[in-house]
Amino acid sequence: MKPKLKRFFIFPLIGLLFLVTACGRGTSENELKVMLGSTVVTLDTAHMQDSYSFEVVADCIDGLMQLDEKGNAIPAIAESFEVSADGKEYTFHLRDAKWSNGDPVTAHDFVFAWRRHCKIADEYSFIFDSTVACIKNAEAVIKGADPSTLGVTAKDDKTLVVSLDAPVSFFPALMSFPSFYPINEKFYNSVKEGSYGTSPDTFISNGAFTLDSYIPGTANIALKKNESYWDANRVSLNMLRYQVVSSSDNALTAFKNGTLQVVKIAGEQVEHIKSDSELSKQLSFIPEGSLYYIAFNQDPKNHHGGVLANVNMRLAITNAIDRNSLVKNYLMDGSLPTYTAVPQKFSANVKTGKFFSENQDRYKDYVSFNLEKAREHLDKAKKELNRDEFNIHLLYSNDSGDRITKIVQAVKSQLEANLPGLTVTLQPVPKAEYLRNFSTDNFDIAVANWSPDYDDPMTFLNLWTTSNAKSTEYWSSAEYDKIISDCSTDNLAINYDARWDAMYKAEKILFEQAVIAPLFTNTNVILTSPKVSGIEYHTAGVDRVFKSAKVK
Amino acid sequence: MAKYITKRILMSVVTLFIIIFTLFVLVRIMPGDPFPVERMTAEMIELKRIELGLDRPIPIQFADYMAKLLQGDLGNGTSLYNGAPIMPIILVCMENSFKIGVMSILFGSGVGLMMGIAAALNRGKFIDRFCTICSILGVCVPSYVFMIFLQYFFAYKIPFFPYFFDPSNFFFSAIMPAVSLSLISIATVARFTRNEMLEVLDSDYVKLAKSRGLYGFKLIRKHVLRNALIPVVTVIAPLVVDLLTGAMVMEKIYGVNGLGKLMVDAIAGEGIDYNYVLALSILFSSLYIGIMLILDILYVIIDPRIRLTAKEKV
Amino acid sequence: MENNYTPVKEDFRFLPRRDSVEDAHLASTDYWKNVARQFAKDKFALLGAALIVFVILFAIFAPLLSFYEYDEIVATTDATGAEVVAKSLSPQFAGGATGYFSDKTFLFGTDDMGRDLWTRTWHGARVSLLIAFVAILIDMIIGMSYGLISGYFGGVCDNLMQRFIEIIGCIPTLVIISVLAIFMTKGIGLVIAALLITEWIGMSKIARAECLKLKEREYVLASRTLGAGNFHIMFKQILPNIVGPVITQVMFSIPVAIFTEAFLSFVGVGIVLPQCSVGSLIEAGFNNITILPYQIMPPIFVLAFLMLGFNLVGDGLRRALSPKIGDV
Repeated sequence: MKPKLKRFFIFPLIGLLFLVTACGRGTSENELKVMLGSTVVTLDTAHMQDSYSFEVVADCIDGLMQLDEKGNAIPAIAESFEVSADGKEYTFHLRDAKWSNGDPVTAHDFVFAWRRHCKIADEYSFIFDSTVACIKNAEAVIKGADPSTLGVTAKDDKTLVVSLDAPVSFFPALMSFPSFYPINEKFYNSVKEGSYGTSPDTFISNGAFTLDSYIPGTANIALKKNESYWDANRVSLNMLRYQVVSSSDNALTAFKNGTLQVVKIAGEQVEHIKSDSELSKQLSFIPEGSLYYIAFNQDPKNHHGGVLANVNMRLAITNAIDRNSLVKNYLMDGSLPTYTAVPQKFSANVKTGKFFSENQDRYKDYVSFNLEKAREHLDKAKKELNRDEFNIHLLYSNDSGDRITKIVQAVKSQLEANLPGLTVTLQPVPKAEYLRNFSTDNFDIAVANWSPDYDDPMTFLNLWTTSNAKSTEYWSSAEYDKIISDCSTDNLAINYDARWDAMYKAEKILFEQAVIAPLFTNTNVILTSPKVSGIEYHTAGVDRVFKSAKVK
Repeated sequence: MAKYITKRILMSVVTLFIIIFTLFVLVRIMPGDPFPVERMTAEMIELKRIELGLDRPIPIQFADYMAKLLQGDLGNGTSLYNGAPIMPIILVCMENSFKIGVMSILFGSGVGLMMGIAAALNRGKFIDRFCTICSILGVCVPSYVFMIFLQYFFAYKIPFFPYFFDPSNFFFSAIMPAVSLSLISIATVARFTRNEMLEVLDSDYVKLAKSRGLYGFKLIRKHVLRNALIPVVTVIAPLVVDLLTGAMVMEKIYGVNGLGKLMVDAIAGEGIDYNYVLALSILFSSLYIGIMLILDILYVIIDPRIRLTAKEKV
Repeated sequence: MENNYTPVKEDFRFLPRRDSVEDAHLASTDYWKNVARQFAKDKFALLGAALIVFVILFAIFAPLLSFYEYDEIVATTDATGAEVVAKSLSPQFAGGATGYFSDKTFLFGTDDMGRDLWTRTWHGARVSLLIAFVAILIDMIIGMSYGLISGYFGGVCDNLMQRFIEIIGCIPTLVIISVLAIFMTKGIGLVIAALLITEWIGMSKIARAECLKLKEREYVLASRTLGAGNFHIMFKQILPNIVGPVITQVMFSIPVAIFTEAFLSFVGVGIVLPQCSVGSLIEAGFNNITILPYQIMPPIFVLAFLMLGFNLVGDGLRRALSPKIGDV
């Protein structure tokens, strides 16, 4: 019986040998492999809402304008454009560009895409209306009016005319945002309803790359160089591969063994790389322009007796958070402690070149790390509320990654240590539930995060107006609303400096009343292989552009 | 027997129908919004609800859904992937999950059987001890730990296998995910096989066969294995469902576009997608019930004792 | 012939207890004593029991005797007054280390939030042990009765009950947890509730199968003829005879329950931070597994010890209870 038994062990060995002799696949020339933090949900610009989808669609489709490496608007499909004297009418002249199926890109493609976008009225349709682009009749169309009344017309195949309700200073830059990308109407109508942009067969591009393999939610996306791209000389990559990686540790090892050439890391991995003399040279810190902040629910009837309706309570909390420690000890990724409602390194003043929030001490009387002041406010709050013990719930979304769970634990520990009598209970929920609770004011305090849609402070300041759909925080101020609406209509829109000052005034109201407690400006830590160069990063809109990327 | 089988099939269909209804109701009362949006107003969301028919009473929605389902139409997503048709997306994920699942079942039950048989035939000796320890370790170490170590050593320290799963290089890149998943089936199958084998080896008819001069491989093959393996199939069957329907953690670690990941996306992603959760749950349940049905019918065919009691029951 | 005599109380007398006349030799071969003796001879089973006791003792006493709270972030300030947190320190003894925290002892090191892993690991072990005992209760109470009733009554009742199990078994755990989350707050309670709904299914199947085997036996028939009620037969006659497979199944379902909790924590629907369980600690260590492997080792070892312990004890019990299988 013995010798026969050996067979039982020989089989697995032979099997293993078979596995081992199977061969791997080589890498082709000029191929770039990049990490993506989350899956790409859609390639249909009318439905898009996350930065990863924006990034991939921007690889494939060009809009009227594009941003150069410094973030200035330069022509893309539009060869040139003119603005009327009152700033309310733009005329774009289109160049001879082609879709990847051979059709020319015409002004009608833009008209079709924009009307469709407003008609579908999904998440990003607001970008057409008076809060941002101010395109004529956009609000009515979003609410169901006839899409042909939208203020965009094709004068001929190569001329696009856009009429606005009010002048918009950043309009050309806005045209690089994916919501304003064209869609080929003929092709769109030829695919099955609802399946546009769900596979390489149902998507055509006019940009630097074409889709090679993709399905919604997939972990691997491959893009191929588009030979018929109007600016094909600029593109040197033959292949651009995206791999979705969710853990920073996984990303680091994949980078170290060469599987991926560009990865984003965070936390301990950054610390680890910093201590490595060779790898630390490949590290770059890129401010993302997104703000993490604590929102207070000021509803006096909320389920903890409305303690947060008390302004001293809110001031106590915002002054009891050691933002430096948060960033240095827990995030460790070069994120910037922030004391303003508009994040740092975002939206430079065209005249002075200084960022809007360059001066972080502007509101230091209201928001800082100052234990004395925090306790003073707490004592006042205790007196006013006639209570000594407070328990508040901290709502956060638990599927947004490791960093947010670290931040909430640190904030909890700081608040409990610095404000005697206050206990914080963490309340983790999935993102969908978080958004619902947040928008219906079903929380005490919440850690929120906002990324800019366009390069103007208004993308943040708009959040706290009374009419804003989601982040009302049960707070409303007529004065604040007035300033914000003045900034986007005639009064202030044409006067650059006055508008800038008005925005500071509005921001000050936020901090006097401690509507929010800002935490930090997020920074992305990118590891780039020394062989790779030419990737462009932007703070607003499309985060990364690979058109000029090169692999040695 | 035909009567029993028809009845059993009918019963499964009814069960499946009840499951679908239960799921339908549960999914609709799950917390979280199907429209997880930060930038839309309440009226805009209400319009979307009406567009998708979510404002109608649940029984009507259910009737509508069943009518479509019976025509093989799983519908479109409610929020995930922006209402694209569900079928093609599920098919792609199913292909990945099923292929990796089948690989891991073949590998796992193969190795498990060999270990179990080897251990039983050498009861109390070194091989037995070795196999027992291996199978206990297989149950003790969480499989995601095993996955990480496999990935770390065989794709990073010794960069032999691809680090991530890659559909364009299917077989080679699926080896590590499949092997790491098979750990639990190896352990379960090995342990179960060993115990069944021992029981059969101790039984009177094997003793009889031995007394008639039957020894060695022939005895094992003809008399022991055949009888010992029937119960083993019952352990493998539920494992099959688990493995086919994907392993969320494995898919996360190796970047596989599979059913487990799709389920997590549909429930805990940006929003709850009613139709995806339903479609996936229905798929899982049908698989589970289908396999149980086949098992029950097989029993009746294989084992006359069960046939008797089954008849009594009918 | 008439016999009108009615017996009165005085006509009867108590017999001495039968047990007292039992053969002393027979008494020593009492089933349970035999089992205990078998078990005590089993080296593997004893090792398993020792592992469980070891983990239980540490889980009870280690957090009590620790210098730190499980959720305490150890921190100090540097020369400029900025806060420095004792995060991600590898295991160290006071005096044997450098840096701001050279005077502190961290047996297992600290996690990436600056908390003592020794305290957290044993605190987490408490949660896993709690889950283990809850699993035992669920199995014993719900699973066993469900299986017994289903098997004993048979017919339509059995059929309905089995279909019910199929329905429950088919609903994905994630869906169950999400729905339950409407009614209760997240945390250990929610995990236990989810276990309550699905955990007992395996046990009920075992109990049902055993009950089907036994209910046709002569002794059951006998006691039914004597007029015993259904529930008396089920719990007094059948139950004691299926204790063997039941205990074995319990031992194997404990690891499953611990794993379920670990898995739920791993995908983020389990325990609420800064509370911790072995599962959530593994999940946290997982984020830094290749660069700071010492963070994931302690919880993995505790989990493996528990698993190993319960598996070995389960195997040992099975051998001791049914000496036919395995090594006699």
